[in-house]
Amino acid sequence: MFEKNPLTPHLQIYKWQISSLLSISHRITGIINIIAITLICFWIIYLLLGQTSYEIIKLFLRSFFGKFIIIGLCWSFSFHILNEIRHLSWDLGYGFDLKTSKITGVLALAGSFVLAILIFLFGKNII
Amino acid sequence: MNISTKKWLILKYSSAILIPLMLWFIINLVSIYDSEYIEVVEFFSSQVSKVLFSLFLVFSFTFSCLTISEIFEDYIHSEKIKNVANKSLNIFAIVVPLITIISIFNLTI
Repeated sequence: MFEKNPLTPHLQIYKWQISSLLSISHRITGIINIIAITLICFWIIYLLLGQTSYEIIKLFLRSFFGKFIIIGLCWSFSFHILNEIRHLSWDLGYGFDLKTSKITGVLALAGSFVLAILIFLFGKNII
Repeated sequence: MNISTKKWLILKYSSAILIPLMLWFIINLVSIYDSEYIEVVEFFSSQVSKVLFSLFLVFSFTFSCLTISEIFEDYIHSEKIKNVANKSLNIFAIVVPLITIISIFNLTI
């Protein structure tokens, strides 16, 4: 019985639209975020090894690739936050009709880029 | 209360708590990621950072554990593989934040 448990249809079966795009992006960014948080945990544990051992991590984080990862994380966190607010409002019974959910979807996607820029500027004390 | 309802409620409460914690963490990450060793240690050694970051880890790993187990539910066919995957995920979601929180509380300038 258990072996015949029905599964969610795989991605290829869906017609691409804003709702399906945001749904899969939400899951993907969630997984990226938890991988990043896990790496940050290792980064913090590494701090215990002392200043000399930390130099290599500092060099990596100051490189172009390091900056790219941090900016990417700003977007990934921003998108997840905004889309999670959208999900929470659905759970409270708001914005579930098709038209509103499409509008909030576009707002979450566009807003994630704006929020990512704001987070970066705020973190760097530029604003 | 049904176990699935409990899981759903934990998921929703943890996501609501996570939103401000995520904002706090990502802004601070941007401000310290390229800093000197001493500045990073100073940040994680402050009492506020220790408490907020520990909460962030507990809620983010709880939330991720529950959501990833939903992904397993959706896409893994075999019950055996699903159980192993869920148990591994639970161990991972306990061990990683626990070691990190212990490390933070042992960090000294």
